[in-house]
Amino acid sequence: MSGVAPVTREVTQAGVAAYADASGDHNPIHVDEAFARGTPFGGTIAHGMLVLALIGEMMHEAFGEQWLASGRLKVRFKAPARPGQALTASAEAPVSAGGDYAVRVTDAAGETLVEGRASLERA
Amino acid sequence: MTSPARTPVSALPRGHEFAPARFVLTAARVRAYLDAVGDRGDYGASAPPLAAVAFGLAALQEQLSLPDGALHTGQEVEHLHPIACDAELMLTGRVAQRSERQGLVITVIEYELADGAGPAVRARTTIIAPGAAA
Repeated sequence: MSGVAPVTREVTQAGVAAYADASGDHNPIHVDEAFARGTPFGGTIAHGMLVLALIGEMMHEAFGEQWLASGRLKVRFKAPARPGQALTASAEAPVSAGGDYAVRVTDAAGETLVEGRASLERA
Repeated sequence: MTSPARTPVSALPRGHEFAPARFVLTAARVRAYLDAVGDRGDYGASAPPLAAVAFGLAALQEQLSLPDGALHTGQEVEHLHPIACDAELMLTGRVAQRSERQGLVITVIEYELADGAGPAVRARTTIIAPGAAA
């Protein structure tokens, strides 16, 4: 047990469109289905930062203000997230006190879409 | 204010400094961000740091263009202090690394968002994009 509760959420095209509007990133790979069908992805994909938000939410839920004040994240986006997928952000406890959490976002099939490390200063 | 020209990300040299930009992290913008990502957490009067980073990236994209095929492949974020909703943020950034491999250009952009109390968030974004000859 890491003491960090996983967060699961489905990616929807409406959510991707809302994120595009909120962030100002209207890259057609995210919002133009006709365009995206002609790419190697075969359809629209979610913004990496939208997927990463699951990890931010998870760490904030676990650590609150401490996360906002001193959190650190370092991740790689390994595979795209597509509308219709249910994604889960999770964390593995550090192997030593004060160490990093191994964080990832996986899809329902268990494929890792985002992985990396998170840490924060502990009082 | 005159908007700087947008340069393809793969054409930006290492060391390129982006023009500083200012924006306000309005409570309405933060609310729209939280609704879009589905985060129902209680942030009080603060903003999620990733919202600031997302808006910082949007501000950077007013100065660079991403060609078809560009991919966001890595992200680092360091929170230095909480950011209040409605804070005015100053964005500064530069191209920290640039390399080429098999027709693809790998660009690492480092940027910082500062409020009235100083630097609040530092971030590094890695983008892989087709090079000019690709």
